[in-house]
Amino acid sequence: MMAVIARMALWPLLLLAGVAVAGEARTPSLWERLQGDRLQIHGFASVTGIQTSANRFLGSTRQGSVNFIEVALNASYQFNPRVLFSGQVLARRAGSLANGSPVLDYGLVDVTLAETVERRFGVRVGRLKNPLGLYNETRDVPFTRPSIFLPQVVYFDKVRNLVLSTDGVMFYGETATGYGDFSLTLGSGQPVVDENLEWAFLGGNYPGKFEPHGLSWVGSLWYSALHERLRLGVSGITSSLRYRPGRSGPDLPAGQTDITYLILSAQYNAEHWTLTSEYSRLPLRWQGYGASFPYRKTDGEGYYLQGTYRVLPTLDLVLRYEEGFTDRTDRSGRRLSAAVGGMSPPSDYFAKIWTFGVRWDLDPHVMLSAEYERHQGTYTTSYRENGAAALVRDWDLFALQIAVRF
Amino acid sequence: MWFAGPSPRHPRGFRLKAAPWWRHCASAVSCLLLAQLSAPSALRAQEVIVHPGVGVTTITTNEARLYLTLRLKTWPNGEPVKVFVLPDDDPLHRRFANTVLGLFPYQLRRVWDRQLFSGTGQVPTAVASESEMLRRVATTPGAIGYVESVPAGAPVRPLEVR
Repeated sequence: MMAVIARMALWPLLLLAGVAVAGEARTPSLWERLQGDRLQIHGFASVTGIQTSANRFLGSTRQGSVNFIEVALNASYQFNPRVLFSGQVLARRAGSLANGSPVLDYGLVDVTLAETVERRFGVRVGRLKNPLGLYNETRDVPFTRPSIFLPQVVYFDKVRNLVLSTDGVMFYGETATGYGDFSLTLGSGQPVVDENLEWAFLGGNYPGKFEPHGLSWVGSLWYSALHERLRLGVSGITSSLRYRPGRSGPDLPAGQTDITYLILSAQYNAEHWTLTSEYSRLPLRWQGYGASFPYRKTDGEGYYLQGTYRVLPTLDLVLRYEEGFTDRTDRSGRRLSAAVGGMSPPSDYFAKIWTFGVRWDLDPHVMLSAEYERHQGTYTTSYRENGAAALVRDWDLFALQIAVRF
Repeated sequence: MWFAGPSPRHPRGFRLKAAPWWRHCASAVSCLLLAQLSAPSALRAQEVIVHPGVGVTTITTNEARLYLTLRLKTWPNGEPVKVFVLPDDDPLHRRFANTVLGLFPYQLRRVWDRQLFSGTGQVPTAVASESEMLRRVATTPGAIGYVESVPAGAPVRPLEVR
């Protein structure tokens, strides 16, 4: 009991420390020390209160919950103009999906192989955030998100580790042409997986191990023009996970799940507004899990259109509509629901969500946000948190967040 | 000059006022048509300052953008670039981003944050005031920054951006 209390008390303390450092940071002495000649240390913390009308989303949210907390500390060291070391430790508590233990979010060495005004080329080795879509690399940083929660039909928080990061190597290059700037990243390695993948792709926590099989490949290509006002991108990852049964008890047979994830992105930035849209496809294939396993192949799809309006430089409004489907050939979810004998309702296989949010930057270190979401369907909720029986098709979510950075 | 779209040039003391909605729509279209033509040209070059040891007197807008976003990390003489900026909400910073770099301040912040929080780059050092900016740029080899105007005799070198 004491341990639980101690752990819970740690969060507000860490947050207070964050605020204190953020405040302190304005005095040049500490700021200069943290921002040394080559070493930079930064961090952030956020606490989010969530209330839902039904279903659980990152906690027991029907009763109102403050169970979504993010704290991170990062450091980078520019060894020389060509070599950069960097790493970030992230502690994330998200209902029963993440318990708040600190993990290495990224840790890498970046070597610039060539650098001119026209083009740059280099390589990164270590634990690398996957450059997928507009937001994946910084998905856990409240200040970089357009709203408290990213569009869930593209950036699933129920299986964030599906595409989060890779232990491996990535080559990057960028070039400026008369028509705009192009940047390309290509990499390979082993995906960093967690228990939530097992829940999301096998439908439960089985005694065996669900682990990466072979190398995964990741890549992105971006085009930007008109002073970076227009950005267009295509990015994707392909990986494979293997299930190895445990030693005893009822279990799944050994099987393999192949995952491909592709995102098309477009964004236009004006002084007072930003228009963003992304389209994603998630084809999945299951092999070897036996005759009683309900899924063979699905073709997931998600897309959203999002407008941000800057009423003031420090006050943003955001409006977004998104739709996502477990299988784009079964948008009503009836076929998939029937495949599991009605255990999950059809509405568990799609989501249609309206989001309205407000963000207020009190100063460069402190941000307050509020958000209302209207949901139809529960595709974006976690089976691990909710089970199947109690899911409600039409539901609302309200969230309030405070975030600090230094 | 609202139709110049992407390069708002506000005189000092300009108070931000939301333009009517049709102006944003019209400016979006004109952005697409005119952005390349209206690249910042009437620059107040005296705003950009470097450490006297930096062996450069003129850079292009594109180079300025690459230095400020820390994507170009060395000067032509091989010296490491050290970038100093004022806080995002400082009026001089906003004007500098708009007129010298042709970027909105929130775009700069987005680039810095992506580098900082993905570990793929570092970010500029924030200073609290113009006087601190002058002091840091004058005393840091390879430094680049900006001020409203360079006081006579200040040990920094103005850099022309064109």
